Amino acid sequence: MSKGARVRQQRVQAPQKRGGRRIKTPQPAGKTGSRRNLYLGVLGAVVVLAAVLVGASVLSSGGSSSSPKTVSISSVGATNELLAGIPQNGIVLGNPNAPVTMQEFADIQCPGCDQYMRSAFPDIVRKYVRPGKVRIEWKGISFLGPDSEKGLRYVNAAGEQNKLWNVAELLYRNQGTENSGWVTNELLRSVGEAVPGLDADKVEANVNSSAVNREMADAANEFSTFGLSSTPGFAIGPTGGTLQVFNPSAYSVDAFAPTFAKYLKQSR
Amino acid sequence: MSDRSLRVAICVLAAAGAAIAGYLLYERWTGGPLVCATGGCETVQNSRYSKVAGVPVALLGLLAYTGIFVTGLLRTELARAIGAALAVSGLAFALYLVYVQNSKIHAWCQWCLASDAILAALAVLTVVRLLREPEPLAGGAPAVAAPRRR
Repeated sequence: MSKGARVRQQRVQAPQKRGGRRIKTPQPAGKTGSRRNLYLGVLGAVVVLAAVLVGASVLSSGGSSSSPKTVSISSVGATNELLAGIPQNGIVLGNPNAPVTMQEFADIQCPGCDQYMRSAFPDIVRKYVRPGKVRIEWKGISFLGPDSEKGLRYVNAAGEQNKLWNVAELLYRNQGTENSGWVTNELLRSVGEAVPGLDADKVEANVNSSAVNREMADAANEFSTFGLSSTPGFAIGPTGGTLQVFNPSAYSVDAFAPTFAKYLKQSR
Repeated sequence: MSDRSLRVAICVLAAAGAAIAGYLLYERWTGGPLVCATGGCETVQNSRYSKVAGVPVALLGLLAYTGIFVTGLLRTELARAIGAALAVSGLAFALYLVYVQNSKIHAWCQWCLASDAILAALAVLTVVRLLREPEPLAGGAPAVAAPRRR
């Protein structure tokens, strides 16, 4: 190899810098081809990876037609934060060994229930349920119309995954006009998908389950036994003991506090 | 920008992306509430699009960012190619998820959007790094073996 050829070969093998800038050196034909192959390989990998990811996402999400669309819902963060970490078991919210039990008879459509859920429920949860003093049993009633039953079935079906209270709270926070058809499949789907750890497909599959039917029938019977005629209705007492109907003077935690205090004192 | 600067930028961005993905994954598994200014994080996080074939998208993101981070540490041509492939394909999937947030879920997740921005920057940086000629390794040897002389 001549001296000139050796110099050219060295420049190709080790590109030099001059003044901090790279000097573009001529590439051997074989190297240029191998870089072109590398680029094509990367491009191919990108196309395949992206196609696999998007395709798998479309398929695993149920495609575009088999599942209802979703709608924007509000108060997701506040609801999940309020209930995060509190034990739920079916229709029960709170420590199963809490000394006091409150039953809440509610229709998912009733404006008074919505008012209670907004004004009193969060404080009751923070002051009595989260510390393990009170447990609340959901007694869903559907007497206002078709939207009531549709929403209630979804709420109780979520109870099979111990997420009933998240769904109930979110439905109240997104309540529409009574019997306007506001409880749509899209709304229910959106609520279900907004609850951490809830399998919305499973909820939809269980809305007519025997467990849901039984819970609805039991709630209706107890509603009648207590002589209640409107919602929200409440019954409070010692856990495992006899509950008494309680009519709050207002939908605030202060209205419930004396009754809770009475039964908490009895339990000591 | 030197290859070293590119690698540092890639590693820093990949670490930030991994932190976001890790946070989303942690909250998903523990059921905790997400810090969210856009209000739609939980809706997106729990939508049916948040999993691909049963695997949480956040886990895929964590794996991709970790892979890109590792390729940023290495100086081989193969590492640069894998880094670019991961970042660009990740960006393509992220753009699809932006479409999903807008048109299917109707909610926006700030963490997802931040991750998308990081992926976009990583895609640019890794492609720039790939297209550059390899710098010689310490001692003068090129990062890629030169064609053998016959």
